Amino acid sequence: MHITEGWLPVEHAIAWSLASVPFVAYGIRVVRKKIQNKPEYRLLLGVAAAFTFVLSALKLPSVTGSCSHPTGTGLGALLFGPVAMAPVGAVVLLFQALLLAHGGLTTLGANIFSMAIVGPFAAAAVFRIARRLRASVAVSVFLAASLADWLTYVTTSVQLALAFPDPDFVSSFLKFAGIFAITQIPLAVSEGLLTVMIFNALARFNPVELREMNLLDEIRKAENGEVRA
Amino acid sequence: MLIDQCAYSNRWRAVTPAAKGIFALAGFVSAFAAGTPAAALCIALLMSATTIFGAGIPLARFVRAACVPFGFFLLGSVSLACSVEYHGGDFSIVWLPNGPAPVARVVARSCAALASLLFFALTTPMIDQIALFRRLKIPETLIEIMVLCYRMLFVFSATLRDVHTAQDARLGYATPKLALRSMGSMAAGLTVQIWRRAQALHLGAMSRNGEGPFRFLAPVFINSRRDVGFAIAAGALVLSLSCL
Repeated sequence: MHITEGWLPVEHAIAWSLASVPFVAYGIRVVRKKIQNKPEYRLLLGVAAAFTFVLSALKLPSVTGSCSHPTGTGLGALLFGPVAMAPVGAVVLLFQALLLAHGGLTTLGANIFSMAIVGPFAAAAVFRIARRLRASVAVSVFLAASLADWLTYVTTSVQLALAFPDPDFVSSFLKFAGIFAITQIPLAVSEGLLTVMIFNALARFNPVELREMNLLDEIRKAENGEVRA
Repeated sequence: MLIDQCAYSNRWRAVTPAAKGIFALAGFVSAFAAGTPAAALCIALLMSATTIFGAGIPLARFVRAACVPFGFFLLGSVSLACSVEYHGGDFSIVWLPNGPAPVARVVARSCAALASLLFFALTTPMIDQIALFRRLKIPETLIEIMVLCYRMLFVFSATLRDVHTAQDARLGYATPKLALRSMGSMAAGLTVQIWRRAQALHLGAMSRNGEGPFRFLAPVFINSRRDVGFAIAAGALVLSLSCL
C-alpha cells in the first residue's frame, strides 16, 4: 500500500524525499555509467519500468480471500540489481501517482524510500544470505521476494508511526504494522510464490534470456536449467 | 487508462503545462498551509470545481478517478482514529484519544492535496508533463526511462490483457493455485518480451544513429505567458484561502 497524497506532514514528506535523493542520484549515476558501456541497457531499463508498472496492476490472490497487487520490488531487484531499481522505482511510483492517483507527489519520497530502496536492497541482501546458507535458488528467490515485500510494509509502518506517534512511536508502529500484517503477510507469501513461478517459467522456457540477467550465475548452477519450487 | 484519457480530451489541453503546474503547486502548498480543516476542504472543493467546470472533466470520471484514493483515506482515517495503549501487560484500543480534530486535519489536508494532484493529472497529458520535467532539468536518464516507460506500458497492458483473457478462457484462474501458476507464466512471458523488445528498439535506434538522448518535438503553446499569468493569479487566490 502506498502512502496516499497529503497524508504525511510536510516536514516528514520533505525529510523522506531528502533521504531518497542520494539513493536515486547514485542509481542514476550507476545506470548512466552502465549505459555508456552497454547502450542497449538504456532501452532495457525503460521497458523494464513499463513492465514493473504493468505488473503492479496484476491482482494477486490472497489466502485471506482479499486481493492486492505485487510490489515487484523483489523481482526487479533480482533481475536488474537493487541500485538500478531506485531510479526505475522512482519513475514507476511517479507514474502511478500521475496516471492512477495511486500514492502521491507529496508522499513520493516516502514511497520511493520504502518501495524502491528498502525493498530492493532487502531482496538482494536476503537472496545473497540465503544462497550463502546453501538454500536452493527457489527458496532463496521466495525468501527474497517475500521478505522484500514485508520489509517494504515495515518501512511504511515506521514512516506512518514517525508521522503519527500516538501515544508513542512503538505503540503507533505496532498499530500500523498490525493492520498491514492482516493483509500483507499472506500477500507477501503469494508474491514470493509468484516470483518463484516466474523464475520457474523463465528457466524452463527461456534460458537464453536469463543469461542477460543478474541471476545468471545462480541459474547456471541449477543442473537441469529449472528452478525447483 | 481513465486519467490519461481525460488528460488528452479536456478543455485545457492547449494550456501550457507550466501554468497547470503552477496552479497545482499552489494547491499543494495551500493544502499544507491551511490553518483549519474547513479551509483545507474549501481548497479541495475549489481545486475540484476548477477541474470539473474549468477543464471540463465529467463529474462521473472525476469521481471514478478519486474514489480509489478516497477509499484509502477512509481506511487510513480509521487507523488514525484508534490508538493502541499498553497498561500492565494488556493492550487496549482507544478511539479518538485526542478528539476528532487531528484526524479531521489530516483527512482534509489529504483531500486538498489529492484534488491538486487530480487537477494536474487529469488536465496534463504525460508527454506534456515529461516536457515540463525536461525544462525543470530533471536528469536525462530519468527522462529517458519515463519516455520509454510511457510508450511501452500501453503495449504491455494490451499484451497482459490478451494473455489474461486466453488463460481465463482455459480456466487458468479457476482456483488460487491455478491463478498463481497462470500469473507466473504470464509474468515470465512478459519478462522475456522486455529483452526482445528492448533489443529490437536498440537495433532500430542504432540503425538511425540514435545513440544520444531521445528528442521529440515539444508542442507549442501559443498563449503560454498569458496562461502562466492567469495561473499565478489563480494560485494566489488559492493560497489566500489557506489563511481562512
